[in-house]
Amino acid sequence: MLALQLLVNGLVTGCALGVVAISFGLIYATTKLFHVAHAGVYTLSGYLAWSLVGHGVPAIGAMVVAMAAAALLGGLIQGVLYAELERRRATHLVVLIASLGTLAVMQNIIAAVYTPNILQFPLPWSSRMVSLGAVRLTWTQILTVVLCLSAFAGIMWFSHRTILGKQIRAVASNPFLAEITRLRPQRIYVTVVAIGSAVVALPGILVPLDLGLQPYSGITPLLTATIAMIAGGIGSIGGSFLVAVGIAVLQNMSLLIMPGEWSIGVTFGIFIIFMLFRPTGLFKGR
Amino acid sequence: MDFLYSYIALAEIYVLLGLSTNLLVGIAGIFTVSQAAVFGVGAYIVAYCLMHDVMGFVPALLVAAAICVVLNVLVTLPSLRVSGDYFVVTSFGIQLLATAVFVNWTAGTGGANGLPGIPSPDVFGYQLESSHQLVLLTTVGSALGCLAFWLIMRAPFGRLLRAIREDELAVAAAGKGVLRAKVSAAALAGAFAGSAGGIYATFLSFVDPSSFDLDASILLLTMVVVGGARTLAGSVIGPFLLLALPQVLSLIDIPTSIAASARQLIYGVLLIAFMLFRPQGLAGEKL
Repeated sequence: MLALQLLVNGLVTGCALGVVAISFGLIYATTKLFHVAHAGVYTLSGYLAWSLVGHGVPAIGAMVVAMAAAALLGGLIQGVLYAELERRRATHLVVLIASLGTLAVMQNIIAAVYTPNILQFPLPWSSRMVSLGAVRLTWTQILTVVLCLSAFAGIMWFSHRTILGKQIRAVASNPFLAEITRLRPQRIYVTVVAIGSAVVALPGILVPLDLGLQPYSGITPLLTATIAMIAGGIGSIGGSFLVAVGIAVLQNMSLLIMPGEWSIGVTFGIFIIFMLFRPTGLFKGR
Repeated sequence: MDFLYSYIALAEIYVLLGLSTNLLVGIAGIFTVSQAAVFGVGAYIVAYCLMHDVMGFVPALLVAAAICVVLNVLVTLPSLRVSGDYFVVTSFGIQLLATAVFVNWTAGTGGANGLPGIPSPDVFGYQLESSHQLVLLTTVGSALGCLAFWLIMRAPFGRLLRAIREDELAVAAAGKGVLRAKVSAAALAGAFAGSAGGIYATFLSFVDPSSFDLDASILLLTMVVVGGARTLAGSVIGPFLLLALPQVLSLIDIPTSIAASARQLIYGVLLIAFMLFRPQGLAGEKL
């Protein structure tokens, strides 16, 4: 029975991780930048929602505001910092270091303002249990599955069916050609990072609802999500999501044979196997 | 006086680490946030050898350096074979994995409490006890490191690395082994970081995981970026400047609860500011 419960927990965590993976994948496939600061946006959105809930804002409202703030923050990072670096003809390495600096700034502002200790959301309903057959789920977990699957479907629809989504994919596949056809890559980049940041706020709030908030906890999910993105095939939304679910299930099932502290080892092991045998990913995009 | 000695000794250990990071980031153009992990592996190996009387300090240091070389080659080889951004993931992965090992493998590393009471180093029969003898050790160590770095940069191998950073494709077209050069750079960086770790362990006579975490790697990167990438002077200036920063901060009245985050915050701001306005650092070349 433990195995079944772990499987279900893995599926739930995987949905949240999958959304992190597609949000990062959207940004990476378009801007080609390794946006490490994404982990900071992820963490900050959770803290923002926590503050809003603490001030009596209803949970839904807090979530919407935090997502909007994350979008604004992401847009600013791209529109101000990355665009300026691009204008100065900075190399890939320079942008990467600046992004890491941004992550350090965000994490430590959070740690200074909210203390480095774990914070829990003051929402009693979030940890209330529901029994479904032999499996017990919290309301947070049910909410995570519902919202993250809708986000997944929404992004699929957005990027394949809307004009903006098609423009983004056009810029992603060939920025020069897109510029000739009167698309402005830099403007599209800002939009993409803003959208990606709003999307990542969703798991950024839902995961801490279950596990609590910590200022330095963003880098592990981002790393795992990046591994899922690479293993799923860069540019493939469905592939990234599926592999993310797969990794989370494996991590949870590995609890049967080893303690949880080593789950990062499992993740990293998966990455090395992919790197050696299938570097382009399972479901290669374009 | 002891305080000044320990500042100099620590800065000199970080010079070795700065050289190691500079070799990867500045010269070969490989982004890394895992040098602190390699540093930690070196420190724990030497600590273990000395505490259990396995061997003397000098052979232990050599073993630590050799293991760090092998470690760095094993992890960089597959990721560099694929693509540059894969190494970013590898680098974060090694750092997080190493922290997990340092914290959770209590039998070998003492867990979060660390390993106290590491014996003082012995060099060819002499036991180094007092702080100025230890400063002598770190000075000799970092001077050897600087000399090696300087020689490597003048050698054909150094020119090859710089050429790769400028234009990888052109180097490959000229028939040079790009992958081999990059992996060699990583191996050298491993040797530098491993020996720095060994000296660090005996100098402090105490190691714990907090000296080898992601923040420590970011500090190292900041040192190289502030000092200046790609030059020997840069790797020396950076550590001396940034290790003085906590002392300066202690003069300003900051509550101790946020002192650590304030320090890290400044490192982050420095990284962004230097990348925007002076990517070559104080005494470096274009990054």
